[in-house]
Amino acid sequence: MIEWAVLIGLAAATLRVAAPLLLASLGETIAERGGLLNLGIQGAMLLGAFSAFIGAYFTGSLWIGLVSAIVGGVLATLLFGVLVVSLDLDHVVSGLAINLLASGLTLYFTRVLFTGGVSPYLGELFGPLPIPILSQIPVLGEVLFSQTGFVYLGLISVPLVYMLLTKTTFGIRLRAIGEDPVTASYLGINVVKMRYAALFAEGMLAGLAGGLLTISMFNTFDTRIVAARGFVAVSIVILGRWNPWGVLAGSLLFGFTEALSLRIGIIFPELSGASTIQLFALLPYLVALVALVAGGRRVRGPASLGKRIGKQ
Amino acid sequence: MAITPLSSPFFNDKEQDNGKDAEYAVFLKGITKIFPNGTVANHDVTLGILKGEVHAILGENGAGKTTLMRIISGILKPDSGEILIDGKPVRIRDPMEASRLGIGMVHQHFTLIPEFTVRENIALVLATSGWLNLKKVDEKITSVSKSMGLEIDPDSKIESLPIGKRQQVEILRLLCQDVKILILDEPTSVLTPIEVDSFFRMIRDLKSSGKTIVLITHKMKEALQISDRITVLRAGRVIKTIPTSEANEALLASLVVEGMIPATVVRRGTPGAPVLRVESLRVSDDRGRPAVDGLSLVVRSGEIVGIAGVAGNGQKELVEAITGLRRVESGTVRLALHDITNKPTRFIIERGISYIPEDRLHRGVILTMGVHENLALKCIGKPPMSRKSVIDRGLVLRNAENLISRFSIKVPDPCTSVENLSGGNIQKLIVARELSNGGEVLIAEQPTAGLDIKASEAVHQELVALRSKGIGILLVSSDLDEIIKLSDRICVIFGGRIVGEFVPENLDIERLSRLMLGAE
Amino acid sequence: MTNQLVISRGTKRSIVRALLSVALTLVATSIIFLINNVNPFLAFIYMFQGAFGDINLLSETLIRMTPILIVSLGLAVSFKCKIWNIGAEGQLYIGAMLGTIVAIGIGGGPLALLAALVVGALGGLLWAAGPALMKVKLGINEVITTFLMNFVGIYLVQWMISYPFRSPDTLFPESAAIPSTSALAVILPRTRLHLGVVLALALVPVVYFLLERTTFGYKVKVVGESPEAARYGGIEVGRMIFVSLIFSGLLAGLAGITEVMGIQHRVRGSLSPGYGYTGIVVALLGQNNPLGVALASLFLAAIMNGSSTLAWTMNIPMGIVDLMQGLLFVFVLASEPLMRFLERRGVLKL
Repeated sequence: MIEWAVLIGLAAATLRVAAPLLLASLGETIAERGGLLNLGIQGAMLLGAFSAFIGAYFTGSLWIGLVSAIVGGVLATLLFGVLVVSLDLDHVVSGLAINLLASGLTLYFTRVLFTGGVSPYLGELFGPLPIPILSQIPVLGEVLFSQTGFVYLGLISVPLVYMLLTKTTFGIRLRAIGEDPVTASYLGINVVKMRYAALFAEGMLAGLAGGLLTISMFNTFDTRIVAARGFVAVSIVILGRWNPWGVLAGSLLFGFTEALSLRIGIIFPELSGASTIQLFALLPYLVALVALVAGGRRVRGPASLGKRIGKQ
Repeated sequence: MAITPLSSPFFNDKEQDNGKDAEYAVFLKGITKIFPNGTVANHDVTLGILKGEVHAILGENGAGKTTLMRIISGILKPDSGEILIDGKPVRIRDPMEASRLGIGMVHQHFTLIPEFTVRENIALVLATSGWLNLKKVDEKITSVSKSMGLEIDPDSKIESLPIGKRQQVEILRLLCQDVKILILDEPTSVLTPIEVDSFFRMIRDLKSSGKTIVLITHKMKEALQISDRITVLRAGRVIKTIPTSEANEALLASLVVEGMIPATVVRRGTPGAPVLRVESLRVSDDRGRPAVDGLSLVVRSGEIVGIAGVAGNGQKELVEAITGLRRVESGTVRLALHDITNKPTRFIIERGISYIPEDRLHRGVILTMGVHENLALKCIGKPPMSRKSVIDRGLVLRNAENLISRFSIKVPDPCTSVENLSGGNIQKLIVARELSNGGEVLIAEQPTAGLDIKASEAVHQELVALRSKGIGILLVSSDLDEIIKLSDRICVIFGGRIVGEFVPENLDIERLSRLMLGAE
Repeated sequence: MTNQLVISRGTKRSIVRALLSVALTLVATSIIFLINNVNPFLAFIYMFQGAFGDINLLSETLIRMTPILIVSLGLAVSFKCKIWNIGAEGQLYIGAMLGTIVAIGIGGGPLALLAALVVGALGGLLWAAGPALMKVKLGINEVITTFLMNFVGIYLVQWMISYPFRSPDTLFPESAAIPSTSALAVILPRTRLHLGVVLALALVPVVYFLLERTTFGYKVKVVGESPEAARYGGIEVGRMIFVSLIFSGLLAGLAGITEVMGIQHRVRGSLSPGYGYTGIVVALLGQNNPLGVALASLFLAAIMNGSSTLAWTMNIPMGIVDLMQGLLFVFVLASEPLMRFLERRGVLKL
């Protein structure tokens, strides 16, 4: 029988590992609602993670790390903007270019800055921030209210992004662009400016998502730190039907599988030590693929998603 | 200055005023627009639109009407010239600026977001502050539609509305923006004759409520019927501005077309045995809703069957089902000898169906590939063009040179990318390829849309020539004149069914319109 | 399909575009060298020497080129169809693993080699078939699925060489070695240059013929340029997408097993330093033309090998390779609008 405490731990871990996915996929939701298919979010997260680490390590301030995470993420998405918005190049290929460039930059500078190319550990990190009183509630307090600031930020961002998209002028204009940028510009909407704004927002969220990996989760930097999280975030947006609430559900699903794969030995002690347990590392990716098969078939996203303006 | 058009000096070939007169809602002075590819769309156009008039801009396709109006509405910038609004010179940088100046345009392709509701579409242009105020938008919609007698549900999605209704939403949106000058680009081309009547009533209502209306049209009758003054454009230049009361069809025709092209007298065909037979066909649209709903139809050899109907009544789905591009739910499509229902497109092409598609640029050609490769699209898979999958490249090139000279397609060399060709030449290329395919049935979908009068005439002659060779032609067109001119039989499509059939000799236009609207 | 003897305008443009992106990359890299207080000219000279300095270095560069060329020839076909297979890395590992299992299972001899190559290629094909099916049957973006499959594939191989197929006589997780009699023969004495390079180079005209002279190539191109027109022209779009994607998987798998049979002789976690990703840059730089791809893969191989010289002569870390790849990728993309801009200004005339 699985113990209660193990389940609570699993639930709390689910939220913790879902946070980067949630932040990133909310950012991607904003971009995609504006018609931008940004696979370069993977690179934006990586750059966010790297600059967060650099900022925090060399200044000794996690807060500066936080700010530089945002700067790194925004730089990556703005470069994507130059390729896709200003030069009207293919979205997919431009995204891949950003990813490869980000991995080249981080790999090179990690090796330049740290001997042996191995980043040291940070002295401190953004730890859990229990909310007074609320964190005392049994079960719920431990799962929901004893998390890091990034988890709270992700959860609060869900309704905020939802309101941004549906209740504001910015949102309705962005969605109009996402459906039909040519018509939107006929109507006097500045497509270029709006898309850059959307990418700016995405860059902030993706940078934070990447940054939290280094300054709140792993305590160090490695060029493989993002793993496939950027692409998983893109999958989550599809599964969540471009809706922030759906994206929340998707992030929790993937957070859960990742938490499960990490804790499988704790949950099923009889398995620990067996060679098969190593195979659970690929569980999150398999689940992502299965989820796409189950829920990603020919769903209708924003009509102009991923299309070049010149080709419409 | 006196404004009664009869005594004003506007009858001169060019308006001599400087336009400072505040009686002009819009005054254009020496507008010239040259596109990057060298086309002179407008040349030194000087033109005044009086306040409160209905002004028709008349001219053939390609005469520069739309370009001129896009300049006024801020979408395009003129290379030289000046625009005066209410007598004051202005620079219209973008459509927002135009709408601030009280100018709004209804485009041929509507500028509504199909996935949005009516309310969202209107909120989109009214929104100014950070937060959307949908309540205020609703109030505006209610008050404006009440004053115009329009009945539009703000909650309905645009994509679920019929075309005529969408046009009303376009106009409603402009009125919500408090525009004073409405520019309507070929507004009746999407309407049936009956809808046109109610549209004209709306124009008169707008006029009497003090709006200025500019109507872009290539239909002389329309200009004569509804406007106060008419300006004729030809090849980007103003030919003349005249009061409608002094105009007649013969005069306008001589102004619109230089050296009149005699309308070809089209003789009727001599139909033979049925070559295409569609029976109780049911097909769904992209959203899975029934689009073709139990339709039956026969095309005989040597006849042209015209499908008349308002766009969106299943024409597209019908054609796609016949050509194998869309799944048939039930019913059959038969060629003379073969059942082609739900067969792969390649099978259908090889059994002899040629198809001139409406969407030429995306479906009809591969823009980024060479003319020679495009001309080989439908025959490259079989001998002699290829053997055992290996292409005979010399033959591909010779075939192209052949067709280029036979159909006088203007290309620098056969390997040029299609994207460098003009619209008329692209259509020639498609026609050449489809006609050389040697089928017994040709499906022609909007074959002359967007072509100028000469190119259209050439296409018509090709179709007639094919008919006399015994080919059965299914002509789908939203241009009623074209249908009436060419067809041996006219089938009216509504709601995915054929609701009536006419022979051109005893055509009852009134009844045809009612059928197109589903009124019977 | 233009006349062979005359270089067409399109070809000329492609060449200029490739050269322009290489030039921009070198400029950008120079700036980074300058920031690190390194003389860029000297650095590039060392790099060149490291790649082509003597017969040994040259053959090492050709060895490096072999898997890159094989992978990117496959990717060129799928890219031509506008299918972005970024899962070549995983397909390469799976191909290498399955081929190695077969080679070890059969034992020595040329038959084992042949069987290994075939199974390796099929393994890559198999790994691409999943995303291909998902793309064609369900319309799921292949970029996401092929990338996710990389992780599944590499973790799986990692696990296989850690447990079921682990060599008993090494400390690190790696597979047993293939019998030396089934390895790809060395073709140049006193170097490691093996038959694989011949295989890779022989594939260049094969893929060229496939793309330029056959109806398959024609259809792939039409589907890539306009799926709508392809459907209208009676081309089975789904089938072309499926075939071009699994074809790129096939060559990725072949690249993996060639690397094992020619050089590494066993599967390790470090079998590929990202050849699957390098292949993307190469196919793009070569603009999906097999000849261009061949030149581009030699170029990238030279950068890779040259940079190791750079590492010990000038203390430039090996990461420079990845950085240059990333820059190259961005510049290949940006060079097209840049050229159009230059042409408009009249600076560039083609």
